[in-house]
Amino acid sequence: MRRWELPVGLAGIALVAWGHFNGLVVAPPEAMMGDVGRILYVHVPTAWIGLLTYLAAFIAAIGALWSGRRGWDAMVEATVEVGVVLNALLLAQGSIWAKPTWGVYWAWDPRLTTSAVMVIAFGGVLLLRRMIDQPPRRLTVSAVSTIIAFVNVPIVYMSVKWWRTLHQNFSSPDTVSATMVTPLRVAAVGMLLLATCMVVARWRIGIKQLSDEAEAADMPDPARPLTLGGEG
Amino acid sequence: MTGGMIQGGVGFVTLAYGLTWSVLAAYLVSLYYRGRDS
Repeated sequence: MRRWELPVGLAGIALVAWGHFNGLVVAPPEAMMGDVGRILYVHVPTAWIGLLTYLAAFIAAIGALWSGRRGWDAMVEATVEVGVVLNALLLAQGSIWAKPTWGVYWAWDPRLTTSAVMVIAFGGVLLLRRMIDQPPRRLTVSAVSTIIAFVNVPIVYMSVKWWRTLHQNFSSPDTVSATMVTPLRVAAVGMLLLATCMVVARWRIGIKQLSDEAEAADMPDPARPLTLGGEG
Repeated sequence: MTGGMIQGGVGFVTLAYGLTWSVLAAYLVSLYYRGRDS
C-alpha cells in the first residue's frame, strides 16, 4: 500500500471511527429497536459502499471487454474482491441485527436472499478467475460473469420496495434526527474512502501479478530442452 | 406493534462492530503483505 491510497485509507478509518463513536455513544437509542438499532451505523454504510463497489466492478468489466487491457482486468478483480468482503460483512451484520429484532438470524426475505445470491455470484467470479490460466480468456470470462452478476445488484437495491416483507423500506433523512443521520453519513463517507484505498491497493497487486505473468509467458520454459531447427 | 422498545442487545452491537473492524483490519493487513511480496 503506497502513494495516495494510504492517506485516503487513514482518513477513511478516522471518519468511520468518528461515525461509529457518535452512533454508539452520542446518538439516542432507536425508538423501536433500542440499542440494537446502533448496528445500523455499521450495517447501512457497509451496504451502500458494497453496492457502489459492485457498480465500479460493472464499469471496470465493460472497460475490460471494450479495451482488452490488463489494467481494467485488474480493476475487475480488485473491485469484485473488495465487494465480496463488504458483502460478506453486510450479511453477517444483518444476521446479528436480525436475531434480537426478528427473533432469527436468517429469514428467506427477498432482500436477504438477493444479497446472499449477490455474494455467491461475485464470489463465483473470483473462483472462475483462479480456474483459467490464459489471460485473454480469463479477462473475457471474468468480465462477462461480472456483468451477469451485476444484474442482481439493482434487484437487491429495489427488493425492499418491490416486495414488502420483513426487511424495512428506505428511510428518509427528513424523518430522522440529525444526531442519527450525521454519524450514518460520516461513516458512509469514511467507508467510501476506505473501500477506495482497498480497491487501489488490490488493483496495484493485480497489475503486478498480471505483468509478471505476461513476462513469464514471454520467457522460454526452462524445463523444455532447446533444439536447433525442426520440432522441439 | 406490541412490547415497545427492544431491551438489551449490547452484546449483539459489540459483536457486529467487533466483527466489522476485525475483518476490515485483517483484509488491510493482507493487502499490505500481498503488496509487499508482489
